[in-house]
Amino acid sequence: MIMFAMFCMITNNLIAQTVPITGTVLSDDGTPLAGVTVLIGGTNKAVVTDNAGKFSISASANALLQFSYVGFATQKIKASPGMVVHLVKDESHQMEDVVVTAMGVKKERKALGYSVTEINAGELMKNKNTNLVNSLNGKVPGVNITQFSGSAGAGASITIRGGNSTSDSRQNQPLFVIDGIIYDNSTTVSGNTGTDGLSRSNTTYSNRIMDVNPEDIENLSVLKGAAAAALYGSRAADGVIIITTKKGSEGNVKVNVSSKISTSWANKLPDAQKEFGNGSYSSNGVFNNNTYASNPLSGTTLLMYNSWGQKITSDSIYDNIGSFFQHGTIYDNNVSVSGGSKNGSFYLSGSNFNQTGIVPSTGFKKTTFRFNGEQKYGNLTVNANAAYSNANTDRTLTTAGLYAGGGGGAMGGVYSFPQVFNMKNYINADGSQHRIYAGTVALENDIDNPYWIVNMDNLTSQTRRFTGGINATYKLTNWWDVIGRVGYDQYNTNDYTYIAPGSAVSPLYQNGRLSKNLVDYTYVTTTVMSNFHKSFGDFDTHLMLGTTSEKTDVTNQNHWGYNFITANSINFNNIATANQFFKDGLTRKRLVGAYGEVGLSYKDIAYITATGRNDWTSTLPVNNSSYFYPSISGSFVFTSLLPKNSILSFGKVRGSWAQVGKDANPYATLTYLNSPITIGAFNGVGNQYTSGNPILLPEIQKSWEVGAELRFLNGRIGLDYTYYHSETSNQIAQPRLSNASGYIFKSINSGSVLNTGMEISVTGKPIVKKDFGWDVTLNWSYNKGRLGTFLPGVSYFYPTDAQFGTVKAASIPNGGYFLGMTGTTFFRELDANKVEMPNGRYQVDPNSGLYRVNTGVPTVPIVGNREPDFIGGLSNNLRYKRFLLSFLLDFRKGGAIYNGTEYAMITNGLDKKTLLNDRQSVTVSGVNYLTGADFSQTYTAGQTYTINGTNVAGTYMIQQYWLNYAANSMNFIQSVNWVKLRSLSLTYDFGGIIKSKKIVKDLTATAVGTNLFTWTNYKGMDPEVSAAGGTGGSGSTGIDYLGVPAVASFTFGVNVTF
Amino acid sequence: MRTSKYIILGCLLAVGATSCKKWLDVNTDPSSPNNGSAAIQNRLPWIEHFYQYTSGVANYRAAAQSGVYYSTNGSNGNQLSTTWNVNTGNTTPYQTWFVEVASNLNDLYNTAQKQNAYHYMAAADVFHALGFMEMLDLYGEMPYTQALTQNPSPGYDDGKTIYNGCMAKLNEAISLFSKAQDATVPSLVAGDLWNGGSVDKWTKLCWGLKARYMLKLSKKADLYNADSILYCLSKGPQSIADNIVGPGLNNSTVTDYLIGDPVVTNGNFDYVAYGSTQRITQYYIDKLTNMRGSGVIDPRMTKIVPASMANVKLDASGRISSYTWLRAIGVDVHGTATRLVKGGSASINSVTFATKNTNIAYKIANATDRANFINDQTTYGRTFSVSNDTVTVTYPVGSNYINSANYLYAGDTVYVNVRSSALATSGIAAQGPTDVSWYQSTAAFNAGVVASTGSFQIRPVSDQEILTYHEMCFIKAEVYMRKNDMANALIAYKAGIQAHMDMMQAKLTSWQAAGYTATNPDMAPMKTADISAYMASAAVAQGNVTMSDIMLQKYLAMGCSIENWNDMRRFNYSVGNVGSFGVVYPGFQRSPLFAGTALYTGSGTSDPRYWPRRWSLPNTLELNYNISNALALNPHATDANIWSMPIWWDCATDAEYNGYLSK
Repeated sequence: MIMFAMFCMITNNLIAQTVPITGTVLSDDGTPLAGVTVLIGGTNKAVVTDNAGKFSISASANALLQFSYVGFATQKIKASPGMVVHLVKDESHQMEDVVVTAMGVKKERKALGYSVTEINAGELMKNKNTNLVNSLNGKVPGVNITQFSGSAGAGASITIRGGNSTSDSRQNQPLFVIDGIIYDNSTTVSGNTGTDGLSRSNTTYSNRIMDVNPEDIENLSVLKGAAAAALYGSRAADGVIIITTKKGSEGNVKVNVSSKISTSWANKLPDAQKEFGNGSYSSNGVFNNNTYASNPLSGTTLLMYNSWGQKITSDSIYDNIGSFFQHGTIYDNNVSVSGGSKNGSFYLSGSNFNQTGIVPSTGFKKTTFRFNGEQKYGNLTVNANAAYSNANTDRTLTTAGLYAGGGGGAMGGVYSFPQVFNMKNYINADGSQHRIYAGTVALENDIDNPYWIVNMDNLTSQTRRFTGGINATYKLTNWWDVIGRVGYDQYNTNDYTYIAPGSAVSPLYQNGRLSKNLVDYTYVTTTVMSNFHKSFGDFDTHLMLGTTSEKTDVTNQNHWGYNFITANSINFNNIATANQFFKDGLTRKRLVGAYGEVGLSYKDIAYITATGRNDWTSTLPVNNSSYFYPSISGSFVFTSLLPKNSILSFGKVRGSWAQVGKDANPYATLTYLNSPITIGAFNGVGNQYTSGNPILLPEIQKSWEVGAELRFLNGRIGLDYTYYHSETSNQIAQPRLSNASGYIFKSINSGSVLNTGMEISVTGKPIVKKDFGWDVTLNWSYNKGRLGTFLPGVSYFYPTDAQFGTVKAASIPNGGYFLGMTGTTFFRELDANKVEMPNGRYQVDPNSGLYRVNTGVPTVPIVGNREPDFIGGLSNNLRYKRFLLSFLLDFRKGGAIYNGTEYAMITNGLDKKTLLNDRQSVTVSGVNYLTGADFSQTYTAGQTYTINGTNVAGTYMIQQYWLNYAANSMNFIQSVNWVKLRSLSLTYDFGGIIKSKKIVKDLTATAVGTNLFTWTNYKGMDPEVSAAGGTGGSGSTGIDYLGVPAVASFTFGVNVTF
Repeated sequence: MRTSKYIILGCLLAVGATSCKKWLDVNTDPSSPNNGSAAIQNRLPWIEHFYQYTSGVANYRAAAQSGVYYSTNGSNGNQLSTTWNVNTGNTTPYQTWFVEVASNLNDLYNTAQKQNAYHYMAAADVFHALGFMEMLDLYGEMPYTQALTQNPSPGYDDGKTIYNGCMAKLNEAISLFSKAQDATVPSLVAGDLWNGGSVDKWTKLCWGLKARYMLKLSKKADLYNADSILYCLSKGPQSIADNIVGPGLNNSTVTDYLIGDPVVTNGNFDYVAYGSTQRITQYYIDKLTNMRGSGVIDPRMTKIVPASMANVKLDASGRISSYTWLRAIGVDVHGTATRLVKGGSASINSVTFATKNTNIAYKIANATDRANFINDQTTYGRTFSVSNDTVTVTYPVGSNYINSANYLYAGDTVYVNVRSSALATSGIAAQGPTDVSWYQSTAAFNAGVVASTGSFQIRPVSDQEILTYHEMCFIKAEVYMRKNDMANALIAYKAGIQAHMDMMQAKLTSWQAAGYTATNPDMAPMKTADISAYMASAAVAQGNVTMSDIMLQKYLAMGCSIENWNDMRRFNYSVGNVGSFGVVYPGFQRSPLFAGTALYTGSGTSDPRYWPRRWSLPNTLELNYNISNALALNPHATDANIWSMPIWWDCATDAEYNGYLSK
């Protein structure tokens, strides 16, 4: 049916009576103007000019085209092919640009009482990333992007103006809306320690906005505050990103082909020491390189794999880390066909993206298709769009080994493998795993060689997604229209985890294990809304009323089993039924909303808008399921009252206040049972460790913002300023609480999250010449997130997923950091009142002869705030004739990062720091914590010391010194600044060279480098880190732990339009 | 026309609103039952089973603390057994109790109440008492009256409140058990994993628990009541047939949802004998080999002290052809602790199985040590060579040896650990359900070389002793002795020893019948003659029984049990300052490796704060999330020396207790 409708539209388009109009728009000084809106009079069909000021639109022969652009007088000109339009600067119409706001309503920017940032296709494509979110980095003030890792297919998280919800299971990411339909961007961690041995930190997961083909995007609008987003209801508290995809324009059918090839490499790798071999010294100084014993600190590493051994005398040193990573490549091809007639248009695209990762045998492949069509029947306009994507990821095990498996996954293994062994030697002639200590260590206690993991195990994820929507607008009169919309978003993710026979896992799984996990997500939404618009003299009013319903069903099925009977046959039929298991689940959510907006403006001077929305949600108890929230915003263009001047060309102040409700996650109101257990003849059931709450209330965010937009020197300089404050109270959370309630996690309403911040955007056009232009944009913002009051007695709020090395991501109640971090530290010397002195010497424990570690008794030390002091981006576009050079610098000041990779490499003896004094001596000096006396002791290799009645060797104490060093989180925490050359691109437009435009209309070639330079004080790999890809609560941003290193890349591409 | 439009619209809206309500009603997970729907006869076995976890882990750690086990488990066991320098709270008992067991009690009680299922209500009461009393024994204070409510920050209660609450629950349980349930109500037999639905046994359990709990008050002149205890004992278990035990099975590989331990096995096994880190101490073994200085070997010794195979010879097919049993030597923790002092508190190594003749070169700089070491090799008949200060020893294929070049550890094979294997833990597919011995590897299993035969109370298939007749006898003996009724004390003391022997013998006989002895001779019954000989020997007081005689036999019999630690606290360990009973636990003292200076701040042995008196509350499960309530009741809750603060029943008076709790 949908296909038939599409077909009809295409056919209609082809027979419509329009002619293609192309043209160029220049400013009065001859500079091409990019981003000029070209609207066909009497329609709502519009296109935007490209970087060369060119446009192409299909219009009827005598159509009037309206050209509008910031700072220029709008002109209406009769369409003619090859027309050249000169726009004249006009201060009085400076701000007449139109932006897409909530519910897809286009509004004049000057009417807005809140901050909206728009990004067009050209800006997005400058550093195209297959994960749309990554392309926004540094471009939007107030938006913080964290890439999960450098592995192919890795996701990224985006937060706008800080996180609002503390709890692990609550997303802090904005709502994505594509062509009016809400588009799911969750990062589904389908892994389960019980079924496939995976948890969030085991591998990388994708965020689902990656299913969008960035080339299909025409325009992206970031609604940052609650006032901007209030109409979207429950899910809008974290902001909204509205995406409009490309449409066909009237005229000839246009075919666009673009092709890119890219190579990427690890940005920076940790440096391992090459002086000392594997093994370790026991307490009496005996050297062991074959003992199976746990590392007392990490508990999981085998000491013989540690590099605390003897000085390496031979030449056999292998650069295991450096040789593990390879160059990645990307082939990225896109084709689109678009066209249209007077009454209809279409856009059809296909893309293929094929990436191999820097970790061997990993990759990401994505194929997408999109159809957008529009057709008019009198007063009725119907849009339809359909998109299909198929994304495949070959993943790797990253920072943690499989549950019930030894070792630290592939990446953990790479960063710990002794340099005296050749890591590439991973397999024996008989196909079994080559294990250095095969005779000494049982397989289940051994660690997997990283090459074994990447070559023998198989972890893949495939997501097939279909999204579609139909949108009908009926114009009853010229002041009243009705819009109906149905949207559908459906995807299924199939995860496949195969652990090869002979892997170092729990004995049960040593003859292979297979797990398949299916997540099926279905979302259906319907919207009906009506707009009224009337003018009364100098007053202009509008009213919008609408209702929407949303239905979300997520099913989850997992099958797993172990012990393959017939070798090399990897399937469930090859597993005895007793060893086959399955689980399934269904999560349902429903929501109904009714909303309205009323606006009033006076001339072009003052605007006021009020909105209200009521939601009825399925996820709250019946008595609390209905909640209402209002917003009000206004703007005042004060320059309209001032005499015209060329210094302050335009000035506007704006303000808004809004309240937004947020409902709970499904099923938070009840307590559920565990799977039954069978003991003898009895079947037992008991409650799960998470308690439901039958009296939950909605979470409420109240926020306000004030701002100003100023243009100077006829628009050559622009300034946009915002200050905002939000308080999200009644937090719905499922925190860890006192176990005395009977549960580990409990659904509650408590506490608040406070965010305040500032955003500044400065635009400038330092050079505006015919052949030479320079545009520059500076974005700068900061956010201060704090956890407000909380349940009395709760000292820390941990998102469980983000605990690495000695630190845990934590929000600290009662005014503490939202993005805090707790850890373990050395106790410092006490003052006369028995209080630790801030910069006092370290306490030494004479029982261990080492510094005394505060492991959280009595209070857990707060060791850092992961939120940066400020972030920003500096974007430059330099145009010289047909060359366009763009570069984007993004920067960050402050914000703690925990270098967990260094922590891990110190504990295993691979870190260069451990070469101190050639490992011949270390000195512990501080105060004896029992006596208060000074303590200073040098441990020298070859000497023996008596500590707590036991004789210990100096070599052993040197090793212990570093383990002790590692226990102090502060040794790995740094306040990090960076400036990154995020992208550098050079484009050449062959448009002038091509003589005959009959076939090839446009041809450009582009070379792009991304992440080419990073200037930072960070000592680890890449400062842009997030160990677990955590997106809920305070997440895992700022924790660097044995991840796939971030990559830099170089891309060459051509773009041809026929 | 217009009006009718509105009417139609109105109707549509009304229909819409009703169906909308239904449309929104999807917040009950269809793929999982919830707590409102669980049947009481399914809830009770869950509670019974998971209480075995709580009790198992509490038994294990308390037994390490009371000197039964030596542990190399760094995160808690070793610190409780040897250095006493524990820096974190003990989380597992607290979590298993509150999260796995107690969260079900209100649901069980309330659902049972709706059905007038009195016996299930009573069972909920019994578990309330069992669990909270155990938590009181361990932690002293915690949320009680506000625990298990909707309150996310429950307030704290002192020990007295918890104690009285538990006693009241037992009284209610006794009265509920005496009521007849309607035939339509689920019968107790349908959901009772422990007692097969015997209301009589449950009632005896209640009375027995009351006796156990009332005995805790022995330091309190005003509350201790000997006659009340004797009354309770008269209504408690009267023979070993009345023993209340939780079953241990070995027929499934399923593991639990929270901790990942095997589900069907005995709870003590899950914590003590699951891994290789626990061994029996010399202090405890001494009670089995030299009770009362008699030098008499207890018939129970080989059932409790594990053995491993030594002097192994393999045949051509790689199967064992000859061997001897090496009976474990206890680890000296509390005496001179020579081995530990040399190697470190957690340094005792576990064995590796030699799949081929294996050479280890030991570099021994110290000439005396080297000479002794060489001497030892000769004694044990091993092949070795000496080159300068290096001695290279060959461990023949089939032997269990210590895989370390450190000569100090080479003899650690004598410290046979108490490990047993279950289907869910062995990792050896061919090891059947009736072979619970521990083999170091699959190769060792294939050769038939046993690394440990395990220990009576802590095998996967051992009964988990909840309340036993022998404990009742020992309580009776203590109470009579406190009444100065020596004759009755002696009778009860002997009855206690005999009851323990009988209980063991019954279990050993059933193991033999089930086929466990085919691979494990330590699971076979004792010789009846040995038992009677022992009963008549100097190891057992035949007259003039002392408090120490009673308590040490109780210590021996209870073994893996929290009650030994409770008793030790009541008698102030080896101080000898309780009544006129003298030193009750002679030889129990701080190890030379003691490192708990900050925790145990008492200046001398007679200072209560010299000894372990409680555990600190778990940080990560309780203090981090409920600190203000914790400090409101006990401002010292987070002090390092909370470990030596006596709990309520360990104080002579409320004033003494409140003195500790005050700022």
